Amino acid sequence: MNSLRLGSYSFSSRLILGTGKFSSTRVMLEAVRASGTQLVTVALRRFNRNQAEDDLFGPLSEIRGITLMPNTSGAATAREAIKAAHISRELSGSPFIKVEIHPNPHHLMPDPIETYEACKVLAAEGFIVMPYIPADPVLAKRLEDVGCSSVMPLGSAIGSGQGLANAEMVRLIVRESTVPVIVDAGLRSPSEACAAMEMGCEAVLVNSAIAVARYPVAMAGAFAKAVEAGFEARNAGIMPRSGSAVATSPLTSFLGAAS
Amino acid sequence: MSDLPSWLTDARLSEEIEPLLRNEDDDSLERLAAEAQAVTLRRFGRIISLYAPLYLSNFCSSGCVYCGFASDRTSPRRKLDASEIEKELLAMKALGISDVLLLTGERTNAVGFDYLCRAVEVAARHMPRVAVEAFPMSIAEYRGLAECGCTAITIYQETYDPENYGKLHRWGPKQDFLERLETPERALAGGIRSVGIGALLGLSEPVGEALALMRHARHLCHTWWKAGVSVSFPRIRPQEGEYRPQFTVSDRFLARMIFAFRIGMPDIDLVLSTRENPEFRDGMAGLGITRMSIASRTTVGGYVESDTASARQFEVSDNRSAKEFCLALRSKGLDPVFKNWDSAYNEPVTCKEATCH
Repeated sequence: MNSLRLGSYSFSSRLILGTGKFSSTRVMLEAVRASGTQLVTVALRRFNRNQAEDDLFGPLSEIRGITLMPNTSGAATAREAIKAAHISRELSGSPFIKVEIHPNPHHLMPDPIETYEACKVLAAEGFIVMPYIPADPVLAKRLEDVGCSSVMPLGSAIGSGQGLANAEMVRLIVRESTVPVIVDAGLRSPSEACAAMEMGCEAVLVNSAIAVARYPVAMAGAFAKAVEAGFEARNAGIMPRSGSAVATSPLTSFLGAAS
Repeated sequence: MSDLPSWLTDARLSEEIEPLLRNEDDDSLERLAAEAQAVTLRRFGRIISLYAPLYLSNFCSSGCVYCGFASDRTSPRRKLDASEIEKELLAMKALGISDVLLLTGERTNAVGFDYLCRAVEVAARHMPRVAVEAFPMSIAEYRGLAECGCTAITIYQETYDPENYGKLHRWGPKQDFLERLETPERALAGGIRSVGIGALLGLSEPVGEALALMRHARHLCHTWWKAGVSVSFPRIRPQEGEYRPQFTVSDRFLARMIFAFRIGMPDIDLVLSTRENPEFRDGMAGLGITRMSIASRTTVGGYVESDTASARQFEVSDNRSAKEFCLALRSKGLDPVFKNWDSAYNEPVTCKEATCH
């Protein structure tokens, strides 16, 4: 109950980290350690096989207890994402693939049609498929149907720091889903990560909010605590919010007592 | 000349930016810098993507008064063959470079489309991202270039003032203002993923140039929703021919212009080359600028043979080595990133996907 299950893998941490945007690889690695995460995503774009200082894959693969989840950021089509997934698996050996297909390279919103097509193929090929998607409950079910191991709706636009602007749709996805729902993108502060967990998400993925914080390592620790608190609160049973006033004189007394 | 396109003259496309450019006080400059930094940080984080130019040839058919490669310059002409290109690429790779911009002059018999295609093919074998800054081509030619592995095209309008444009381009195919203006769209129609645009600052009145450039960038983003669009800010530099620019573009104005672009177009790459000096480049990194050239040689054969390989197109102001420049970025809390792309994503964007016109 207390572990996050993705495919045949289970993780005690429910915080997933993105690895881009940091001021240095060293700071990124320290943030990864401080977060206690067991699953990190790294873009194929940032695999540098020439053993350069900007390579993220090599240093991450040396941290014990971390599973790498390559992502296809940069792909504009299903075809490119599938190609990137194959290359990533060959390079990393990881069965995970985070499918990111954003044909508009400026706002980076995911393409639901291409994402669906890519996920169908990659799930059939045995990948543990984690799609980055718009907060669309119908698409989420369609992706579940083709074998995705989770769905990762946007809290809000990537890098925007607008938090859970899509909260209503995320709630709907959580209510309907039989696979883990992981909020990906848009979170700005630990309290928003906590709220996503209280809402019923199984995990959150955070990158910008940690990478661009003044003290990324400290922020990584803060997110870890918030995710844990949100998950524990949910399991402890959050007091229902009262939806309406209760009349002092019962409105239904005329019906008599139940026999 | 035919009528200018309506987007180029539509003031609504840049009206919120003009006041930012016309202010001259220190307070407003500082406020813009802070906002530009915040927008950059949010969208791009603390990284700077790096690239380097590779001059393939200095043959040229045009008569641009401001360019060291113009066809009336007396410097010897040269073009690299396939094996020389490969050697240059290997020398660049040894510096860590993974993102190359291939450059030529305007089309000549010596250096045309076929030559460029072969050069792109060689480059794509060594570099995940290959961009081209050469002569305008047809849609079919751009399609061919994309199929050879070209990811991006850079094409500067030089100046958006049509009258001035006519005077500065004394002869050759580059004399056609509208043909050049439409070139980025032909590249996108041909399947090139990204286009870089810019004005050579100093050729015409700077505020007007900045506004037209932003209209151009916005027009491309609106019309070609899958296109990557980047904007460069080249200031004219000393060159053989010794053209003196008519307009002065101060550091303060250029900084203001870059801040205004970052605020007005938060998601696009803004590029600063080694035309600028180390102090300005270091200062602007992360204040709007997200992409920078490094260890540039503006001579044909300059990476292998030394900087005297041929005449320069222009003088470089930042002569720091790749290592020195990276150290400077790191000391500002920025991460220099050589590889921020992968060849897995180099398929041409088909005409249908790119919204064919």
